[in-house]
Amino acid sequence: MKLLTHNMLMSHVKGVTKGYPLLIKATEVKVNEVEFNPQFVSRMIPKVEWSALVKAAEELGHRQDLPAELLADYEKNEEFLKKVHKVLLEVEVIEGCLQCPESGREFPITKGIPNMLLNEDEV
Amino acid sequence: MSESRGKGKFVRYYCTAGNGMEPFLTDEVKRKLAAENVCQMPGKVLFSSTEAIDKIIKLKAAERLFLLLKHDSPVRLPAHASPGKAASVLQSTLLGDRNQWTSAVMTWSRLKGELADKQITVDASSLVRDEISEREERRGSAEQMGEEERAHVETGKSAGEQREEESKTRRLKSADERDAHTLEKKRKKEMVQRVDEFSSDEDKGQVLKKKMKMVVDGTEDNEEQAKSNREEDKALLQPSKIKPGFTSSDPVTFRISCKCTGSLSRCFSSTQEVNKVIGLGLGRLLGWKTDLKNPQLEVNVYLSDDHCLLGIPLTRLPLANRSYIKTTGLRATVAWAMASLAQIQPGFCVVDPMCGVGTILMEAAQENKGAFFLGVDIDDRQLQKASENIKFAEVGNRIHLLKASSMMLPLPSASVDAVVCDLPFGRKFGNKANMAANLPVIVTEMERVLCVGGTLVLLLSPQLSFVLKKLLAQKQDTGPTSNLGTKDETGKQDCMSPSLSTKKQQTVQIHQGVKSSPTQETDTETGLHLRLPPAISSLKHQATLRVSLGAIDGLIHKYVKSDVR
Repeated sequence: MKLLTHNMLMSHVKGVTKGYPLLIKATEVKVNEVEFNPQFVSRMIPKVEWSALVKAAEELGHRQDLPAELLADYEKNEEFLKKVHKVLLEVEVIEGCLQCPESGREFPITKGIPNMLLNEDEV
Repeated sequence: MSESRGKGKFVRYYCTAGNGMEPFLTDEVKRKLAAENVCQMPGKVLFSSTEAIDKIIKLKAAERLFLLLKHDSPVRLPAHASPGKAASVLQSTLLGDRNQWTSAVMTWSRLKGELADKQITVDASSLVRDEISEREERRGSAEQMGEEERAHVETGKSAGEQREEESKTRRLKSADERDAHTLEKKRKKEMVQRVDEFSSDEDKGQVLKKKMKMVVDGTEDNEEQAKSNREEDKALLQPSKIKPGFTSSDPVTFRISCKCTGSLSRCFSSTQEVNKVIGLGLGRLLGWKTDLKNPQLEVNVYLSDDHCLLGIPLTRLPLANRSYIKTTGLRATVAWAMASLAQIQPGFCVVDPMCGVGTILMEAAQENKGAFFLGVDIDDRQLQKASENIKFAEVGNRIHLLKASSMMLPLPSASVDAVVCDLPFGRKFGNKANMAANLPVIVTEMERVLCVGGTLVLLLSPQLSFVLKKLLAQKQDTGPTSNLGTKDETGKQDCMSPSLSTKKQQTVQIHQGVKSSPTQETDTETGLHLRLPPAISSLKHQATLRVSLGAIDGLIHKYVKSDVR
């Protein structure tokens, strides 16, 4: 699971009103080099919940020096885009789990794929 | 046929396309190849282009690519023409000018050469590997197919033929197996037709004895033919081996492969008869030599009541066989068509809630380098295969995977720009009753995650298509108050309501203003918090398109989520 995906994920366990963002408990994290595409990154930034991304990167020890607030004119700031690129696409949780911040329900991550399936009684 | 211009000469081609794919192909050749004189007919699109051949073989909506030799009005035979008369009319109308043929063959040879230059480096290693396992594969598939093909041909009507061929071909895994299968099938078909002819037409005993002998001969040298076919393939890859054929004293060897329908087919006893008549004529005109087993080129002839069309195939494998997909699910051409309907833009987030092995996302990602794709499936094995596909195509940074139910996506509302999905309905996955029952929940969930202005593209079986139409019409007609009285009709809606309301009660961020366009990079964090109104559908129907999926048809529905308030 890459952090771009994590940034979109939300827990829908029954009764939960704020299932976002999910806490990451990683047991295996990999950093794979991925070709840098500045346009793709700057297109993705407006879609991203910035504070959740920074928090997730922090949890995994890959925050580097990403600011708490999104920069204003990031499109032209290649150095910044590279950092965001790394956090969004290169850092990957291979094994571990995601935890719902409200219910505490844990969702396992196996071979890089998070399992967000709920049991029938949780729906 | 050709004139000079900018980057190259105009060459006239045609592609075959699955039923319902023709409009997509027409659009594609215009858009990508700046094609001119585009002519669409059932199962085919004709066009002229100056683009290089390696760009043309990248067409996504097409099945096979041909160099066009001739496209004309249908051949008309005088009433009650004798076989001899019919043959001479056919020859004189179809064959025409000698120079046309030689120049066409030169063009064909040049294009083949250009293709080989591009492919030889890529294919070199795989050819060596294929050769080793090939013999066994061929033997296996030949035996396996025998029964099946026979049954197929006996009932085969020409309209259904192509489709069945496609669907069967699809089942086979490797390109080589596929190839062997097609060749084998072609031969078998010819044999069966000859036999049919024998039983129906008792007068022609003399001729048929000869033909039967050919049938017997044909069955004996299976192995040999498989080998020679492979050699032919290799020869086609090496332009140096072909060219001398056209320039030196060696005559060109060819074979005619004809599809004949309508009134013309009734004037001849069989397709083989037509093949023979055209073959003889062409041999006489150009001094070429017929070679059914291992020809240098194949001339495809389509004769119907609407037109006649002659062409030479340019590639051995259909263009629809994608080199970048390891495990195929849905037909790649149809998957591509669905992705193109979603009108994906850079920066889009696209979700397939039942992605299977990821075929739609793979096709979409090839075409849209600036978008992000999320594949969701509930089945570990499917996800595993999808993961392998993504790795194989090296698109792992843009396609991510997730295990979840399509009835409860772990995504915020209004967070996705497009949803594409092939709703499983075949024998392969689940059962139909289940899917029809779950459809309301699944579609409501898709609607929820889509942002306003977002696109939904679904592939459905005819039955599911009907269910969905009814469902959405109902929602739009009756609106939110409908839950009060009626029972049967709105039953589905009633059971949806609980899950709906819990979801809709969550205050969700809606990105105001339809889709932030690239220039409009305003801060979307300050979106409104609001409650969505209850179950009136915001999905506005845009189009329904019928496409062939092989044995059955599928319907592609397109919706855009509107602002219902």
